Amino acid sequence: MEDNRRVVITGMGALSALGATAEELWNGLLANRSGVRRVPRLVQSGIAVTTGGEVDAVSAENVDRDHEIANRAIEDALAEAKRDAAECGFIWSTGLDTFQMGPGGFVHRSAGRCFSNLSGRFNGPRRMIAAACASGTQAVGEAFRFIRNGHADACVAGGSSVMLTPFYLIGFAGLQAVAIDNGADPSLACRPFDKRRKGFALADGAAAMVLETLAAARKRGATVLAEVTGFGMSQDAFDLNRPCDDGAGAELCMRRALDDAVLSAEEIDAVNAHATATYSGDLAEATALRKVFAGRWERVPVSGSKGAIGHAMAAAGVLEAIVAAQTCATGIVPPTVNLRDVDDGCELDHVIAEPRDVDAKTVLSVSFGMGGQNAAIILKRI
Amino acid sequence: MQSVFPYLVASSQRNDLQVVRDSSPELWRQVRRYNQPVQLALAAAEGVIAHASDPSAAAVISLAPCQPGSADLYRWGHVVTAGMASGTLGNLRMNPTQTLHAVDNLALSAFAIAHNNRSYCLGLGGAAGQAWCGLEAVCERLAYGTEEEALLIAGDQDAAEDGAPALGVALLFSIRAKPYRPLGRTVRIKEISRSRERAARVSPHAAKGLAAFRAAIAERPAGVFSYAVPPEHTDGFSGVTVTLEIM
Repeated sequence: MEDNRRVVITGMGALSALGATAEELWNGLLANRSGVRRVPRLVQSGIAVTTGGEVDAVSAENVDRDHEIANRAIEDALAEAKRDAAECGFIWSTGLDTFQMGPGGFVHRSAGRCFSNLSGRFNGPRRMIAAACASGTQAVGEAFRFIRNGHADACVAGGSSVMLTPFYLIGFAGLQAVAIDNGADPSLACRPFDKRRKGFALADGAAAMVLETLAAARKRGATVLAEVTGFGMSQDAFDLNRPCDDGAGAELCMRRALDDAVLSAEEIDAVNAHATATYSGDLAEATALRKVFAGRWERVPVSGSKGAIGHAMAAAGVLEAIVAAQTCATGIVPPTVNLRDVDDGCELDHVIAEPRDVDAKTVLSVSFGMGGQNAAIILKRI
Repeated sequence: MQSVFPYLVASSQRNDLQVVRDSSPELWRQVRRYNQPVQLALAAAEGVIAHASDPSAAAVISLAPCQPGSADLYRWGHVVTAGMASGTLGNLRMNPTQTLHAVDNLALSAFAIAHNNRSYCLGLGGAAGQAWCGLEAVCERLAYGTEEEALLIAGDQDAAEDGAPALGVALLFSIRAKPYRPLGRTVRIKEISRSRERAARVSPHAAKGLAAFRAAIAERPAGVFSYAVPPEHTDGFSGVTVTLEIM
């Protein structure tokens, strides 16, 4: 493929429970460390869920937190890429509305307003993605397609979420999706694929990537972090609250990403899984991965990041794409933090307790959203 | 930016849920637990889908409401606030149906379930001017994807209050030349162009811009028609012009 149709990542920014940079995220995962912890303001509120993935870089009392954590991730990505926002399109998800207690009382901030505030300094496409938990991956995928199809030379893609509030925690508890406190070590709240999993830990977060053509990156002398080679999405068309048991929707989006990249499943070296630690979600995802990798599923290392950083919703897919890009760059697959005893039905080649150096060059990263919207991207070392 | 020249095949607009309840009980049964913008978006979609050759195979692009949620959801927000003030949050339980009202891709997913649609889909968020991104996405997808038809749906409300005016709009496009039903002529998008403009005062609403676009087409004779999107329906940063060929 011509260099002006190949799409590469040249900058990344990440704010998560493991720190305020992409490097801190990566190092925390390699250390098998969880940033999920008890959040004092949730304890004070008296609700049943008091653990989460808190971002410390911006105060929780700042009512502009939604905008500020997004902006910091964007600035870090642009700085690493040595790009100006005015040269880039902007494809971003700000997730759901923000409901916070501010000094003056209850504050409701529209996700659309946050997006509009962020987008004004960009040129070219300004698209706000709304695909629930798959939003971040879809934002990267749409930016990839947009650039590959020649509609832009460069885009900032990513997502941000501020949801670690009683409003959403009570709501997700009603859906039996978040792990309720049980007095145990709060860092163990989220246990993807584990027999003792009880749901995810909700998290705040933001993550951004600069994507551009390989030709543009080479012309500028930019450092290429990874190449995006494929994107697929699908709808379960099954149920609003749970995935299909056979993982059909998840499988379909992965197969579409492989087709888009003109790759076979044989050529995937590792997987960054969605891995929410919900009972039905993990089962469906593991089933789908076993189908995609067929006779090879026991030899494709799988890692999920939510045990370490919680579920940052619209930011989750981009945070995980950043981890996938770092896996491509180093060849190392980080462990799934908090996974110890793999549950029946969740069998895969899980990376447990310590990172595994498998010289992974091509990585599949997947996200599955509430409502049944699924997205997958493929990243490759270049 | 333009990729293909799709034909507008059918359009629909709904603003009265009572009519949906009375005239389409089966549809109402499907949508009754959703919030008003989503209900109206899905009702509008039903108004065009009969003209699709295969609803399960169409690309679907859905605009999330700019005034999201529902009166139930906002009441819930105030219950949480009161609970925080009184220290009684621990006793609160949220109705899972109301959690759905906060979900940004609800109309898209509900449509997919109703029509068994697993084709390309794109949910665009509730920010000002995303309708025109949706129209651009229709053109892109019909150029680069495998689908022959694309559905653009939107629903929104003026405020998250009971009885607030609300609107749902749906537009169906095809790569095949078919007459646009209200006109009896073909209506083809020739170009969507953008220009950098000074920041304009916008009126964020997912559906009103498309409704105005639809109304403008309804009055046009044959010929080339350049529809300059009113600034309040843009994102505030871009001027948008949609050029149509009406034959």
